[in-house]
Amino acid sequence: MNISDLKTHSHLFDDYTELRVQQNRNVGLTMINGDLVRNARSVQGGVSARVAKDGFWGFCSTPEADGAALERVVGRASTNAKVLAGRSSRAGLLLPSTQASGEYAWETAADRRSQKELIEFLEAIDAHIVETYPKLSSRLMALSNLDMQKTLLTSQGAEAHSMTPRSLIYIQMTMESGGEPVDLMESYGGLGQFEDRFDDPSALFPTLAKQYEHLVAKAEGVYADAGPKTCILDAELAGILAHEAIGHTTEADFVMGGSVAGQFMDKPVADPMVTLVDFAHTALGDTCPVPVHIDDEGTEALDCTIIDQGVLRKFMHNKESAGHFETAPTGNARAYQFSDEPLIRMRNTAIMPGQSKIEEMIASVEDGYYLMKPGNGQADTTSEFMFAVTLGYEIKNGKLGRGLRDTTISGVAFDMLKTVSMLSDEMKWTGAGMCGKKQPIPVGMGGPALKCTVNLGGK
Amino acid sequence: MKLDRDLADSTLEALKKAGADKAQCVLRVMDKSEFTVNAGKIDLLRTTENGSLTLTAITDDKKGSLNLNELDPESVARAVDEVIGLAQISQADEANDIAEGGESQSFEAGPTEPDLGAMYDRLENLLEYSKEHHPLAIYDQMVYDFSSIQSLFRNSNAVDLSERKGGYSFSAMFSSREGAKSASFNYTGYYSHDAKKELWKCGSLDRLLRENGQQVNTESLQGKFTGDVIFTPDCLEEFLGTVTSFLSDGPMITGNSIYKDSIGQSIAAPSLTLHSHPLSSELASGYHVTGDGTVAQNSTIIDKGQLTTHLLGLYGARKTGGQRAVNDGGCFVVEPGDTPLEQMIGNVERGVLLGRFSGGNPTDSGDFSGVAKNSFLIENGKVTQPLAETMLSGNIARMLETIRSISSERTHFGNAIIPWLHAQGLTISGA
Repeated sequence: MNISDLKTHSHLFDDYTELRVQQNRNVGLTMINGDLVRNARSVQGGVSARVAKDGFWGFCSTPEADGAALERVVGRASTNAKVLAGRSSRAGLLLPSTQASGEYAWETAADRRSQKELIEFLEAIDAHIVETYPKLSSRLMALSNLDMQKTLLTSQGAEAHSMTPRSLIYIQMTMESGGEPVDLMESYGGLGQFEDRFDDPSALFPTLAKQYEHLVAKAEGVYADAGPKTCILDAELAGILAHEAIGHTTEADFVMGGSVAGQFMDKPVADPMVTLVDFAHTALGDTCPVPVHIDDEGTEALDCTIIDQGVLRKFMHNKESAGHFETAPTGNARAYQFSDEPLIRMRNTAIMPGQSKIEEMIASVEDGYYLMKPGNGQADTTSEFMFAVTLGYEIKNGKLGRGLRDTTISGVAFDMLKTVSMLSDEMKWTGAGMCGKKQPIPVGMGGPALKCTVNLGGK
Repeated sequence: MKLDRDLADSTLEALKKAGADKAQCVLRVMDKSEFTVNAGKIDLLRTTENGSLTLTAITDDKKGSLNLNELDPESVARAVDEVIGLAQISQADEANDIAEGGESQSFEAGPTEPDLGAMYDRLENLLEYSKEHHPLAIYDQMVYDFSSIQSLFRNSNAVDLSERKGGYSFSAMFSSREGAKSASFNYTGYYSHDAKKELWKCGSLDRLLRENGQQVNTESLQGKFTGDVIFTPDCLEEFLGTVTSFLSDGPMITGNSIYKDSIGQSIAAPSLTLHSHPLSSELASGYHVTGDGTVAQNSTIIDKGQLTTHLLGLYGARKTGGQRAVNDGGCFVVEPGDTPLEQMIGNVERGVLLGRFSGGNPTDSGDFSGVAKNSFLIENGKVTQPLAETMLSGNIARMLETIRSISSERTHFGNAIIPWLHAQGLTISGA
């Protein structure tokens, strides 16, 4: 359904209303040791309405998207808000008025590849791995393509259409070491449909060689010493640090829910060299991994500079939190499925690069670690964080040493960022992140390498 | 929405007519009503309805599957053609199959409609109760929903199983604040077939709120030592989920599971008996039909320390030559031990009462490390101080082997019944 069709239903709006038609299309392939164990497609779509009335929210969704369904969801959402208003009294919500409009689609101009060709793509990679790396005990590949298409109309006059695709291939290599399996997973791809992210399978072979080289070092590697250590966190870890440890604590709903960041506005929370931004769609002249131009409340998405030269300056907002804090919404309200209500979500969160070279950063560490690849992560309302680290190396006397087995790092982000002493000059993004906060949502994370002190889990 | 049996039947026939050697349709309709509490206020009522049709086709041992929620005749007809196409382009694999048929059966559990008034009352009462009994508590988000799910499993082997489930699900994420001091957030949940019981009396919520209030004043641990850890029920349930993930299709097919050859062997201390009881009348979140379309049965996964089953699905069993599990896992019931919690704590010379574990996913070999959250130090048999920034590491397999005791008390979550567990030999380190 396009905007014009949706606008024919604007007469249904009596109160503040968002009407959204959405479809998520997924392709999923999984190959274990060369066997295709999953060959699937999925399409989930429908319409939802969210209504604000007398200080409460009502929401309703249905998989149908015809005129009758639209009328039904708006009516039921309004009734739901009235149900809450009937049980309690509350001041009306202060929802800033926004009227963004536009169409943003990242559909490929190339001929679409068939699912058969996608399978053949994985088979070609698998054949290369089998031939080139006979010491692997197992291999797993997963291809995941998501096309997220949204059309939004609000009672404030916002109109938006977007199609945001993401194409990823995950490759896990496993080898035996001392009778135990040791693995390393890498993700490839990001924003765009498959044809815009991948060309010939052989283009991945050089990075697969690097992945294998790291796996061998890890298999022959050592466990980290537990305790606080001087570390170089490579870009992917800086990105997850920006997202998990700082980003979540500065989402305005978390702040209203007790996040420690609420006490730190306009106070130093990091070394002055640290600037941290949640980018809407473009960073340093390039399109971000998850570009958001208009959010799911119809607000123009703007960059949100959370930490500016070490000082906490801004929270991420939807309309309700912006009204609460008497500021402007930042365009961070996003929903995953048609049946989900918009929540305050990050988009592309990154620490800005500095001026050091990664080589001189490593050379500056006498006894520490170079941590390169994160696994899962979690943060706290206190800004305490924990990330798994799946790839890293010792640093001894300024030189890289043995590989590391899996470990975790932890700390208090607002303390740890004050220990940052060097930032590399290279900004890298990862576009494979999926954040969980009631709903999943694709996010981008980025940053340079940074030198800091962090607590390691060991053995 | 209504479950349209004719749609499933006609789609199954269409798949067979289109060339599927074996075909399966799983039709679901779901209705949900959900209250959300944000920043301590009940501020959203959300109702959703959805349908789901999952088609599976196997031709010449090649399999494709497709899921859609547009259930009009034209969309379903297109989906039939598409899934046949997916099967035709797939790889031939003799392990691809569908469940064997039996007699047609229907199952029902829980109410069909929500009691919205009671749900609202429970939330409102909890907020009032918290103000009085847990004045430092801040609810970041609470979700209380009622879901009704109707499912119909049909396949070309004459499987004809239908299931209707209705139930209430509650989850709360909260922290505590006193002046400028904050506790780490914690969370818990509860499942039930009615909304009669006050929420603070459900599961572990009241205890966790009380402990969270104490955790605004934490102290860091100095140094590193090998010590004991008492897993609380919330934390243990998550660990058991990790343990059973080693028994599932993925690690068994890759051969990376540490328990791939352990059936009949001792993998834990004799005090541990772990059941998966999807049919238990004590668990509101149970199920009667597996994801493969077979009738679920209760099972014992670890019997007095001995591994009795993997958790292989139909494909994983055929691929590995193993035995298909009689259920999909979950619905954990751990047999109580004979050690009262107070005595268990008294047995710890130096260790951690682990409220929540924020850790990396364990490696294939079972190694894990992470941060002890919402946890307390135990010294000389007494709980002494809430801990800050304390890291734990160990190995799941060795941890299970060295269990010292299981508590006689258990917590009922409505989706699991879990005791406290005393483990030994974990590495504990401070900042």
